[in-house]
Amino acid sequence: MTEVLRIEGLRKSFGDLEVLSGIDLTVKKGQTIVIIGASGSGKSTMLRCVNFMEVPTAGRIYLETQAVGLENNGTVQYPENELAKLRARVGMVFQHFNLFPHMTALQNVMEGPRTVLKCDLEECQRRGKKYLKKVGLDWKADAFPSQLSGGQQQRIAIARALAMEPEIMLFDEATSALDPELVGEVLETMKELADEGMTMIIVTHELGFAYAVADKVLFLSEGRILEQGTPSEVLTYPKKDGTKNFLRGHGTFRLPEPQIE
Amino acid sequence: MDYNWDFSSILLYKQLFWIGLQNTVILGSVCLVLGLFFGLFVGAARFSGKLWLYYPATVFVEVFRNTPVLVQIMWFFFAFPIIAPFRIDAFTAASLGLTLNTIAFSSEIYRAGLQSIAKGQWEAGKALGMSYSEQMRRVILPQSIRRMLPAFMNRAVELFKMTSLASVIAYGELVYQAKVISTIEFNPIETYTTVALVFFAVLFPMTIIVRRFETNNSVGR
Repeated sequence: MTEVLRIEGLRKSFGDLEVLSGIDLTVKKGQTIVIIGASGSGKSTMLRCVNFMEVPTAGRIYLETQAVGLENNGTVQYPENELAKLRARVGMVFQHFNLFPHMTALQNVMEGPRTVLKCDLEECQRRGKKYLKKVGLDWKADAFPSQLSGGQQQRIAIARALAMEPEIMLFDEATSALDPELVGEVLETMKELADEGMTMIIVTHELGFAYAVADKVLFLSEGRILEQGTPSEVLTYPKKDGTKNFLRGHGTFRLPEPQIE
Repeated sequence: MDYNWDFSSILLYKQLFWIGLQNTVILGSVCLVLGLFFGLFVGAARFSGKLWLYYPATVFVEVFRNTPVLVQIMWFFFAFPIIAPFRIDAFTAASLGLTLNTIAFSSEIYRAGLQSIAKGQWEAGKALGMSYSEQMRRVILPQSIRRMLPAFMNRAVELFKMTSLASVIAYGELVYQAKVISTIEFNPIETYTTVALVFFAVLFPMTIIVRRFETNNSVGR
């Protein structure tokens, strides 16, 4: 399988605070990587470094084996236009959707192809409709974000990222801002993408979902990968105490399985 | 009440009033267009967070916001010939004062409008691969201008009333014409009443439009 993304020795500090202390990760085509960890463990920052919403303090990132940035006497420069081109190839879905409120659902999805890829109007409309349909919201094409539920808004946001036809998709706690009854439809959409072979990195608190879709689970703690492996290795039979404590916290209150009589 | 209102003398000068109104509208419109145009850049400079842009823009804004427009207009008209090797006419001096003032005020409206847009909107544009100017043009300005419109409309109404200050340097707008007519005819009450009515007739529809915008502003979000 071909490599889509490689992260080497990634570090990120905000002032004196080091949030990421050396992360290495290789993502192959079609893989779904799920990152879990307590808040403050650096998982969102790690994701945001992949498309340079945050510029790493040290380390290199390779997209399709191409290093991002220009190395010059040991320091790496990141010219803004190169980063913009990289971001066009990496889709991102945010916790708070961040749809453009002055555009309809269809216009939101068409915006990337139109402004960034400079596609002609016909192609933009074709993509817009295609990806709205993919997330099951082609019937809401003319609705404004304010007229949609949170779950629908997030699915539009996924379609907006997909319309760029990216090499990899990043999901930054995509369901954390949703009412519980709306989480399912978004996870369903994400699972379909994973099944179709989209390469994805997902930061989430939904452990059941992580178990179901991940090819690989990373547990982050204090800016490092404490444990990684298959969902069963990390989530069911964790070896490290940090992972065990985290999972125990999540499992304190669980619904009992229904009794079959 | 034994004052004898006599508007018949006004009618004799309707041509002068008409010229005055035209000059008022020309001066006001020129200053509004230039003020709003350059105000965007000053506002963006204050918003940018880059200190070498922020400080000059801030000094400019504070100077023109905190000095009377009347003084600015007189200053440009009378001081220019002393500090520069040429004179400027009344129209240029008045439009300089009023435009710079409008830039200062409108830049603050732009800045506040830009700041009112959530950070996530910038990020969403950036994540799609948009450049800073594309984010600004496609995502931020369309949303913030909608919010700025009522404030700009108010500014425009203020500006049109401030054009009357140009009368002190003999620019032939409405109030200056009134001054001329009233010294010939000794009828200041009638002429200035007429001026007030003309201003009202022009500006009241504008304020109605402002109100329309304020109520329709919620569309789309």
